[in-house]
Amino acid sequence: MSLLTLENVGKNYGKLEAVSELDFSVEKGTIHSLIGPNGAGKTTVFNLITGMIRPTSGRIVFNGEDVTRLEPHKIAQRGVARSFQQTFLFMEYSVLDNVLTGFHMRSRAGVIKEFLHTRAAREADKKATEQALEIVDFMGLSEQKDELAGNLPHGHQRALGVSIALACDPTLLLMDEPVTGMNPTESNEMVERIRRIRDRGITVLLVEHSMRVVMDISDMITVISYGRKIAQGLPDEIKHDRQVIEAYIGEDTDAA
Amino acid sequence: MKTKADIAKKTVLAVVIAVVLVLPWLIGPYTVQLFILTMTYGMLGLSFAFTIRVGLPRFDSAAWWGVGAYTTAILMTKADMSFWLTLPIAGVVSMVAGYVVYRIAIPRGMMVFLMFGMVIALAIQQLFGSVEFFGGWGGTEVIKTPAIGGLVFDGKRELYYLGLGFLGFNLICYYALMHSRIGRSWNAIGQSVKLASSVGINVVRYRMANVLISNFFLALAGSFYMAFSLVAVPATFGLHKSLNVIMYVVIGGIAYSLTGPLVGALILAFVPEYMRVAAEYESIITAVVIILVVIFLPGGVLGWVNGQARPWLLRRARTKSIRSESKEPDSG
Repeated sequence: MSLLTLENVGKNYGKLEAVSELDFSVEKGTIHSLIGPNGAGKTTVFNLITGMIRPTSGRIVFNGEDVTRLEPHKIAQRGVARSFQQTFLFMEYSVLDNVLTGFHMRSRAGVIKEFLHTRAAREADKKATEQALEIVDFMGLSEQKDELAGNLPHGHQRALGVSIALACDPTLLLMDEPVTGMNPTESNEMVERIRRIRDRGITVLLVEHSMRVVMDISDMITVISYGRKIAQGLPDEIKHDRQVIEAYIGEDTDAA
Repeated sequence: MKTKADIAKKTVLAVVIAVVLVLPWLIGPYTVQLFILTMTYGMLGLSFAFTIRVGLPRFDSAAWWGVGAYTTAILMTKADMSFWLTLPIAGVVSMVAGYVVYRIAIPRGMMVFLMFGMVIALAIQQLFGSVEFFGGWGGTEVIKTPAIGGLVFDGKRELYYLGLGFLGFNLICYYALMHSRIGRSWNAIGQSVKLASSVGINVVRYRMANVLISNFFLALAGSFYMAFSLVAVPATFGLHKSLNVIMYVVIGGIAYSLTGPLVGALILAFVPEYMRVAAEYESIITAVVIILVVIFLPGGVLGWVNGQARPWLLRRARTKSIRSESKEPDSG
């Protein structure tokens, strides 16, 4: 069953079409990659799904519900979490506090109770801390849990970004270039973790430049170029797709 | 090590509280008056720093301060109400009026909020001055001083303690809020609106709550202002004052939401006085002070104390103790 469906989604900025007539579905429990040359509109698609920008046409359905016009925090509350391309963190918070902020939606002790420090609120706090520690451990950040996010090396910041998203208890996790800028060891660890995230029952939609990683972990791949879908299929099919190869070679010639 | 620092912190806090409590008995009435002003301005600074937590700089703090002052003044003179009863009303009036204005501004982000603030600062002042009901540009006076039973708050000392009560209540509420889950969500918004909304925080609603609480305490500071000034004049609550409030926070140290505004207000209340200059030079002195602070103490006075002065003192203390230890065998 499809967890997320984009139906004929388009986004124009004046005459510029960032995304047009985009159709694809993400199946539950899979790792689905969205790839394409630079400027193909991948991050725009993420922004559309999370409600950061609104499509000019089309419909986005998540879990059977039309979420096209919802505000970002409402989409997040329905179970769509996101780790950002740039390292977006609460830099002045410790690692653990960063993750606890992600628990915003889970711990609902009530504003008044919270303010009066009731027992229920304290219990909820304690439970949240335990769960946050578990996530921190899962992402391999146990030793850094009291470190300020701003002081972490790049690889750890990336892992922390994913931890915050996981703290939201998502059904669907959008990951924007999770291994960019990582060394091979860090990258391999991240790939392993993405697999384990899927095995926990979280569907993953991935944007990534590293073809090695994409081909390695994807259950399904959608390729877009200039805001349009040009191919979709299993990793092996995509590897040998003529249009895909052309799109990428075209990019290389441009770059050279 | 941590417990040692904790003890030091608690000792400093206890000493400060003790000094603050006995202070009016050690100094002259004029200096007491300056401290009363410091407390009032400190409350304004606290409320500015409070909305900074959610990334919203407000340029209208003095206007809402005026709303509190005028609400108290009007209710006391026209409705013959007791001072105490006007307090919650002033707070609520400021919140309701704030809600009406900010439901337009807050969803449109920080820049719109900031510009709205300036417009509101000017508009509210104009309202007080031009509408006859508020007493015109000459202002509105109250004749009664607040009292509980036989205790009348008319002397400087009494007003000083009344001010401590207001300030203390404000500090306790802000402290509790900032250290709750709501406070964490506010901080998150202040650090990154995008990330905060991506973890499901309703940025608009949380910002609104923060600003309205700030409005409440600004109005409360205004009511207190009426208790000792006994007159509300529109000129007091203009944009110029709101800009001064920002100075308190910057000079004290913008990262210190609770102590920074108080330190800044203290400095700006006393420096011009001690330089014995007329009021017309106050703005120039304030300007010089703020430029010096920005150049030499970018983290504010408290940032400097924590970043430079304290480590330096600790290092000195340590080298001294090492020296005295190494001397001991000689003497023995």
